[in-house]
Amino acid sequence: MIGASFPSVLAHAQRGDEQAFAILWRDLQPALLRYFRVATPAVTEDLAAETWLGVIQGLERFKGDERGFRSWVFTLARHRAVDWQRWKARRPAMLVPVELLDDQAAPDDPAAAALEALSTRAALTLIAELPHDQAEVVALRLIAGLDVAQVARIVGKRPGTVRVIAHRGLRRLAQLAGPVVLAHGSVTR
Amino acid sequence: MSGEDAVPAEMHRPRRPLGPTPAVLDQDAADRLLTGQLDPADAPPGYAGVARLLAAATAPASPDELAGAAAAAAEFTAAMHSPHALHSPHSPHSPLVPRSAPMPRKLLSLKATAVAVVAVLSIGGVAAATGLVSVQLVAGHAPTASRGASAAHAERGTAVAVDSRSAGEAALGGLCRAYLAGQGGQNGKREDSPAFRALAAAAGGADKIAAFCQSTASATTATGAKGQQGTGPDATGAALGGLCRAYLAGQGGQNGRREDSPAFRALAAAAGGADKIAAYCRDTAPGGSATHQQGQGAPSSTGSGQGQGQGQGQGSPPSTTPAQDQGQGGPPTTTG
Repeated sequence: MIGASFPSVLAHAQRGDEQAFAILWRDLQPALLRYFRVATPAVTEDLAAETWLGVIQGLERFKGDERGFRSWVFTLARHRAVDWQRWKARRPAMLVPVELLDDQAAPDDPAAAALEALSTRAALTLIAELPHDQAEVVALRLIAGLDVAQVARIVGKRPGTVRVIAHRGLRRLAQLAGPVVLAHGSVTR
Repeated sequence: MSGEDAVPAEMHRPRRPLGPTPAVLDQDAADRLLTGQLDPADAPPGYAGVARLLAAATAPASPDELAGAAAAAAEFTAAMHSPHALHSPHSPHSPLVPRSAPMPRKLLSLKATAVAVVAVLSIGGVAAATGLVSVQLVAGHAPTASRGASAAHAERGTAVAVDSRSAGEAALGGLCRAYLAGQGGQNGKREDSPAFRALAAAAGGADKIAAFCQSTASATTATGAKGQQGTGPDATGAALGGLCRAYLAGQGGQNGRREDSPAFRALAAAAGGADKIAAYCRDTAPGGSATHQQGQGAPSSTGSGQGQGQGQGQGSPPSTTPAQDQGQGGPPTTTG
């Protein structure tokens, strides 16, 4: 989060100030990459770049505070993710099996690696193993830092539904992580 | 409400043995987990692992996640200076506009390409122009360079001394291609870059670049036939200036390691040693913009060395290029 200086940073960026834009970019790019790593594991950089293109195109017209800005950026990001998933669905023949991608992108056991080394990437890979709607809601809540109402708007569901999905996601994550925790004993630092 | 989270069975692959189903979370604990406010030690039974996992997923940004900052900033500036891009009829967030993923990706990569080509040329191309001051330029294959190959070729080239004049023309040819390619788009405005100031100097004025490039383009294919275009000293000065600015500007950042590139070897040769570049540039920089001349001292070695541009030289006018120049725009990590 940028915080108190956000309105000024935004205003400068809207006037074309490259440095101000760089502040916005640095603040949100890691979260965008991580969101895509969960939602569309194969093409994170490309989709993040496309999202920024949309941000640049719409920046002048954006009005709102930082929370609104983040919500808007991730709305664009989700559009890109949905597009990509549709595009992917239309071209099944071109695809590498998902399992293969997973195995290439992830360590042998994402759960073990995530808990042992606390690797961000492994943690994201494990979240990506959730059913898609759970992974998406967890990513938008946790990584994008959006609240339930914002996530509900973005994914087109009711807030109560978003809560339920997030709940299921967390429980599922606990199940995924459970055997690893048991196998490695304590998880305290 | 439960109908909405029905998931097709095949979407979930049970790939590992699942642990026992943990207790149901209360809403407060779930919210704190999802906002990163729940310490693993305080997590409800069965959720300590999740808390650690979520903490890892929200760890501070790593350098590679921020590696594209320079390219993104360049993209931003290019787009902001292009009314076409800004007032695109496609509202980026209108649900009515059909969005096709492959198309904008291609668009973006084309734009990034143009930026990358310009970026490479403003370093390498200018470096090649330095050849005109009788610096023994170390560049790529002589035949390629004399055809006006993209600077990227020279960057990754082996140590072959090239006739300085043809190297200079190679640089001008590359600059011209970049200029002509950029005219239609947002890079047409890049005349404020060192590379294009060099080009303007060679052409005799910013408004003469197009004509200059068109005449040069036809002539450069005949190797060594040029030299009377008034290229010489002006281009040289500007080229050195641009090179110096690039050097000084790069010291603090990820370009700090550029001393191993042909461009900076050329600069080092002109300066009389790598350690003399900074002093040389301070003395030489002809009318360089003062803003870029602050960083002094030894070249920083803290640069990450990660270039992000992956340009493919495109959009060249057909008359100038026998073949498409393929420029690798990620310069700092060139290894011979």
